[in-house]
Amino acid sequence: MKRRIKKLDPRASWPRPVSDEERAHILGYLEERFGFSPTLFEPYLFLATAKNYWLFTRTEHFEALQSLRVQTAGLLFLRKVSGYLKPTSAALQRFGRFATRNIVILDRLTLDRLRLEKKIPFSAELEPGYVILKCEEDFWGCALYISGKLISYLP
Amino acid sequence: MEKASSLAEDYFSRYQDLIPNYESFLNALSEPLPLYFRLNTLKTQDPDRVVRGLARQGFEVTPVEAVPWFFRVEPRDISLGNTDEYYLGLIYPMTLSSSLPVYALDPRPGEIILDLCAAPGSKTTQIAQLTEDQAIVVANDKRLDRITALVANLRRLGVASVVTTVYRGEQFPLGTTFDKVLVDAPCSGEGRYRKGYEGELLFHKEGHTNLPAIQKGLIVRAYDLLRPGGILVYSTCTINPEENEAVVDYLLRKRQAEVLSWEAPLPSHPGLTEWEGKPFHPELVKAKRFYAHEIGAVGFFVVKLRRQV
Ligand SMILES: C[S@@+](CC[C@H](N)C(=O)[O-])C[C@H]1O[C@@H](n2cnc3c(N)ncnc32)[C@H](O)[C@@H]1O
Repeated sequence: MKRRIKKLDPRASWPRPVSDEERAHILGYLEERFGFSPTLFEPYLFLATAKNYWLFTRTEHFEALQSLRVQTAGLLFLRKVSGYLKPTSAALQRFGRFATRNIVILDRLTLDRLRLEKKIPFSAELEPGYVILKCEEDFWGCALYISGKLISYLP
Repeated sequence: MEKASSLAEDYFSRYQDLIPNYESFLNALSEPLPLYFRLNTLKTQDPDRVVRGLARQGFEVTPVEAVPWFFRVEPRDISLGNTDEYYLGLIYPMTLSSSLPVYALDPRPGEIILDLCAAPGSKTTQIAQLTEDQAIVVANDKRLDRITALVANLRRLGVASVVTTVYRGEQFPLGTTFDKVLVDAPCSGEGRYRKGYEGELLFHKEGHTNLPAIQKGLIVRAYDLLRPGGILVYSTCTINPEENEAVVDYLLRKRQAEVLSWEAPLPSHPGLTEWEGKPFHPELVKAKRFYAHEIGAVGFFVVKLRRQV
């Protein structure tokens, strides 16, 4: 349960809103990999820190907030991992139900085993890459499907 | 145990004429606090999924009629913290009356709101859910370790509309102005008291900190952070008038604040206009006192104020 908080750089007090190109890239990835409709994220901005993208509610008050020394702003949404974008489990728990692709449905026993062992043999008709874990009606978070294995990124 | 219970009776005796139906108040203190949770509607609008899931783990869950999205749970002495529903961020365990300050605040999408003493975030996340993640909330607490817990709750519930900061509330920077400010102040917590936790009472009785002085500093700074016409809600979970009406009375003498009435979903009593011979501003009748034995939850004090236009 104990986890470190990703602290933002105290000197840079605010993360940078991404450019239009970067936003298009993020939305393109989310749509291509998971079938998330770009309109789903219309009410939100993406903010960037060195290795992460945060989802933050679009607001006319954005400027007014800049003078605050912030610890966090918004929801940690994606991490940049060796050239790939990895969605956080927090993001998938919230938005997973709007996805249409690369959802891995596990029975309870397999889910528990994956949580315990972190990595299990697995094969499915999927392109390798990040997947959304679903069990019964719940969205649990993120895993990586690669070379006959499922690797858990659940907290 | 005999000795302990007489300590509680001793402690609360100064409120004998203040607390309605004092005998039944004392009786209620021997029962453990009821357990409640709020359904996180950012993730699910379907209570059945949660009710069924918790039932499978031995919990009996009943909706609270008066307060939307709140549920009462038995057995009350088992933590919900180990359940899947908690892990998945479908529920936020919190006492029923802790929802009241946010009802007074009445947050709306598009607003910018400051939660000055926010950790661990029961009210911050309630605001996020009521505004469908579309009001900006600055969630502040003076303790970094408690902000850590708050950030964990924000992540668990999937909230994207919150900024977290660590300032001493009295010194929160004046550069940003807010539509609404919530001061859920640090307090002696008398409203939370149940038998078996005498230590807490003793701790506060011995007066390690001057709580009213801190609360006065917080309420004045909160007021100064409002835009003209902005709304301030001040709340505590204590019965003590020194931490409630006296703090608001102090603000009313220092600033041009207006006391507003508001609709509460639970039964309440008007604020005091006098305590131990000291008169308070007459408008304090519009404040609301909630007593543990009448609402089946932690006792609360809530007042809603507006900054002069
Ligand atoms: C009653 S608790 C807040 C509960 C919270 N609003 C919730 O609903 O989850 C009071 C909080 O005030 C914080 N606090 C104490 N003194 C403070 C100060 N001077 N400025 C800001 N926060 C303070 C404490 O760390 C504590 O987390």
